[in-house]
This record gives sequence, structure tokens and C-alpha cells, in this order.
Amino acid sequence: MPYCVHCGVKLDDDARRCPLCGTPVMDPNLVRESAAEPVFPTQAGEVKPVSRGEAALLITVILASISAACGALNLFLRAEQVWSLYIIGAMAMLWLWFVPPLMDRKMGRFLRLLLDTAAIALYVLIIALVNHGLSWYKGLALPIVLSTGAAALFLALVLPGRSILSKTALLLGTAGGYALLLELLIDRFLTEGWEPGWSLVVVAICAAIIVPLIIVRRVPSLREEARRRFHI
Amino acid sequence: MAQGKKPEWYTMDNAGILYSALQREEYSAVYRFSAVLTETVDPEALKRAVGECMPRFPGFAVKVKKGAFWYYFEPNDAPGPPVLPDVSNPCQPMRFTENGGWLIRFYYYEKRVSLEVFHSLSDGAGALVFFRTVLSAYLREVGHDMPYAGQGLLDLREPPLKEEREDAYARYAGRRALRSPMPAKAYQNRGTAERFYTLNVTMGFLPLDKLREVARGLGVTVTEYLTAVLMKVLIDKQRREKPVRERPVALAIPVNLRSWFPSGTLRNFILTLRPCIDPSLGEYAFEDVLNYVHHYLRLEQDKAKMRGVFTRNVRFQRSRLLAVIPVFLKNPIMALSYRLAGVRPYSATYTNPGAFQVPHEMRPFIEHMEVILGQATDPRPHAASISYGNVMEITFAGTQREADTEREFFRFLVRSGIPVQISSNRKEAR
Repeated sequence: MPYCVHCGVKLDDDARRCPLCGTPVMDPNLVRESAAEPVFPTQAGEVKPVSRGEAALLITVILASISAACGALNLFLRAEQVWSLYIIGAMAMLWLWFVPPLMDRKMGRFLRLLLDTAAIALYVLIIALVNHGLSWYKGLALPIVLSTGAAALFLALVLPGRSILSKTALLLGTAGGYALLLELLIDRFLTEGWEPGWSLVVVAICAAIIVPLIIVRRVPSLREEARRRFHI
Repeated sequence: MAQGKKPEWYTMDNAGILYSALQREEYSAVYRFSAVLTETVDPEALKRAVGECMPRFPGFAVKVKKGAFWYYFEPNDAPGPPVLPDVSNPCQPMRFTENGGWLIRFYYYEKRVSLEVFHSLSDGAGALVFFRTVLSAYLREVGHDMPYAGQGLLDLREPPLKEEREDAYARYAGRRALRSPMPAKAYQNRGTAERFYTLNVTMGFLPLDKLREVARGLGVTVTEYLTAVLMKVLIDKQRREKPVRERPVALAIPVNLRSWFPSGTLRNFILTLRPCIDPSLGEYAFEDVLNYVHHYLRLEQDKAKMRGVFTRNVRFQRSRLLAVIPVFLKNPIMALSYRLAGVRPYSATYTNPGAFQVPHEMRPFIEHMEVILGQATDPRPHAASISYGNVMEITFAGTQREADTEREFFRFLVRSGIPVQISSNRKEAR
């Protein structure tokens, strides 16, 4: 029966390493009896993931029944307007947000984010269709929704695993870029030109914060100082 | 049961409510007792023995049902409970709707019989009565002459008693509830989480006489000694990690209330004590820790005070305000309060159900006993111990990759002159 040379504990006959410290059991004279059964079973038990089909079905039924009820009500109440489409669109958006992730547990964050953005775009499209507003949808709403989705996707890609300083800098940088883009889209839709105004203020403020952050992040002595002063 | 008659149901006690509320997809409060016999286990005989015992233990033959405001128990008519070949990753989650709703499981492997219990059903003391009776029935099935009663066995020829399923907390709840302030956050001792579902189990086997000799030499009991060793190991571990601020090291020590409040209940009837040392105050030598634990455990085992504490839990459970919250909202609230009051203020759990006593006819057939506290809500090890004959078995189990807590613990015992034998299900040891 082997002993661990570091821990001084007796080990099982079939142990190849000490379970406590990982030191290999090395005894040139030791003859391993291959027939002996290990002390613990070697076969791991499977733990099946909980089925979320029921929850998905429940949500689907609730959303569908709300949509159907509103659609039916629309036939009698203020029938001159198709107000129920707002609600049906909202239900469709909620369905796209919550049900596909329940059905497919392995769905990545990026795919989910894309789907969520598409759901918002779809909902706004329904609103635009009801209001005969396809021009503002194409010119303004869709680009804003898509660029918001792109900004969120960018952050989801670059943020994980970075330091607080880098995260803050990236967030502020994205916010500044987003503000510029937003003003560009609005200006182009309204005046077909681009005269950056308020977004420059946002960019300037963001830049004023980002530059010191990057310097602190890059210079080790400053970083250490910041860590000391601001530790929680 | 008469045709068309609704099965008899009953409410949970406050410990049962808590453990059910904590249920998540990846977590159940489960613990395991194992008996390593002298002969290889016969699965068919084990199945027959379990089948024979279940009618006598209706409290274990239940399933959890969800009411509008509370979970409750209902008798389980599904075939079972499961008797399965053992797996390397014990104490897997028990879902309320899977496996026929069974909340106990039996496993067999070579000479080992194991019982896993969902904590809402019963505490260690109750489960051991059940396990002992199943073991005696099993030994009878394989042809040994076993008694039907005595030494903690329940007689299978008698009908179940009402007292065995009583809510002893409610029975002994006093007039005044004892309020205690929320304890401070303790050193968390978290490690790197392993892949789902892994439970790293490390068992140490010690000669009880030697352990007792060392403990007596220091003027303390075995439980006090082991508690102090664990606290000292955690204090030193935290210091090595050089935290910005040292947190107190606190243990959860469940005590069996049946010693003070006589009850034949097989359901939960425990309370946890919280020995706590704040190492930021200064150096604690092992003797200081031992001295503290020795006096603390004696001082806190105060009948009136303990009654006050569980009276508060019973009151909490009966409060109208809490009662009217639907169960799906209540569960997250209770899980959060458990995090704040049951996880954050503790560094580890150490439970010692004590010596496993059996009738002398059974003794030659049991080699030793083992206990495993199942997965914790966080990746950190929890300790449990049980003794049988001259073998004291101490288990550290957790979902963390590191083995440093158990390594330092067992090295401490070896340095104190107690020989330790280690077994583990860790893959790297094989």
C-alpha cells in the first residue's frame, strides 16, 4: 500500500497520484494488480438538462392567446383602426426574445443578439406599416435599430475578460461612436446633409475620459496607483 | 387507498421548505450515506430489502408537489425507489418531476451500498434510522439472521407511527422567538468550478482510538477537535491568500435537536451553530482555536436558546405575509435569503452524525461507513464525518477543482500523529 511522500497519508492500492497534492506514486517494486476493482466507480452518471419545452409552450400559448383575443376584439372595438397589430407585433417580439433561447439551450449570445435586433426591427416595421410610414422606417428607424444592434454586438464581442479600465474605455468609445452615427442618420433623413453638432459634445466628453483611462491602463505605475487608491 | 380518494398529503417543515426552495436545475440539497459491507452487494436482494422497508417509512416514499403558495409532500405511488449501479459523481440533483418523483436513491458498487436523500425529507439522524433498517433487511435477505428491532432499528412488522412523521419544530416551538442579527460575511473559500456535473470527493479514514487519544490529550471531544482543525486550516489558508481584508472564518455545525427535545421524528430536526473566529484581530494558535471551539460548542448548546432560534423559523414559516406570496415568487426570495443568511456568513459546513450504532448481529457484516455532503451552492468543500467501530471516516466534497483545504486538513492530522488513509474519486488520482 503506497504512501504520499508529501502528505504522509496512506493511499489506495490503485492510486497513481496523491488525491491531495497530485504527487505521483512511484515505486519501482510495486506490482499493480490490474484485476482489483477501484475503490470508487469509474463510470460517471449523466445528469440530463431539464426540458424547457413546457415553459416554451406555456409562453407561446399565453402570447398567442393574447394576440388572438386582441385581434378578435379589434373586429368590434374601434374597428376602423387596426390597433391590435401593435399588440400582436409586441407579442411576436416577446416570443422571438424568449422562446428560441428556451428551445435551443446552446444558442450563442451573438445569435441571440441578432435575433433580438431582428425582432425589434420587425416590430417597428409593423408599426410603420400600420401608419403608412415605410419612408421613415427605411430612412431612419431601420438604420437606428441595426446600428444599435451592431453596437451591442460589438460590445458583446470585445468586453468579456477585460479589465475595468478597458471596459470603461470601450463602453465610452462605443457610446461616442454611436452618438456620431445617430446624428448622421437623423441629419441625413431630415436634411440630407451632415452637420455634426450635439454628437460632437458627447464625443468630446467621452474622449476626455477615455484618454486618461488609456494612459492609466498603459503605464504600470499609474495602474498600480489607481488600483491602490480605488480598491474596494 | 380507496378508489377516488385523494392521497394523504402533508406540509413541509421549515427546513424542508428551505431545501425545496433552493432547488435549481443544477443544484439539489442531497447527502449520501454508504455502508461498505464485507461481501459484494447482491442488487436483487437489495431491491427486495428496499421494497420491504418502504411501507414502514412512508416519510421517505413521497414526492414534492407544487401548491399555489407552498410545496408539499404527497405519497409516491410510482414504482421504486431507484436501486442503481453506483456512479463516480455522487449526489446528483434530484428533480421533482423526474425518476417518478423519488427523492431517495440507492446505489450499489462492489461491497458498497449507498443511500442518497433529498434534504427536505429528512436530516442525517432520520436517514440513518432508515438506512440501518434497510441494511438489516438486506442482510436478512442474503441469508443472515437479523433482529427486527433494537439499537435504532424500526420494526418492519409494525405499522408506521404518526410520531415518525411529525414536524418536531412545530411541536416544540416556544412562546418567544429569538431574533439574532444577520451574521457578517465570512471567508468564502471558493475554488475554481469544475465542469457540470462533477463532485470531487476525498475521504480520509482514521483509527478512532488514536483520534480520541489525541483529542482527549487536549481535553476536548473528537467533534470539537476536528472542528478546530478545520477552522485553523481555513484561517491559515486565508492568510496564505493574502486578501486585502481578512474575513472571519465561520463554520456551520448542524446539531441534532433530538438530544434536547425528545422526538421520534424521521424528518428534519436540526439547527446549525456558527463558531466564528475573526483572524483580522490577530494571530490564533491552534490551542486558541481549540479553546474557543470547546467552549463555544458547549455554551451554545443551550436548550432554551435553541428553542428560541427554531421558534423564529417556525414563526417565519407561519407568517401571513410570507404565506400569501405565490410559490414561484417565494422561491427566489427564500433562495436569496439563504444566500445572505446561510451561505455568505459561512466558510464551510462540518457535520458529524457521530457513531453509527447497529445491533451486534449486524456488526460482522459491515466494514465501515461513509458519508458525503452533496454539492454546495458554491464551488467550495464541505466536510462530514461518521464513525463505525474503530474507523472514523471524514469526507470533503465539493465542485471545486482544488484540493487544498482537504490537503491541509489531513496533513494537520498526520502531523498530530494520527495515521490517515485517503481515497478519492478525483480523476487525476487514478
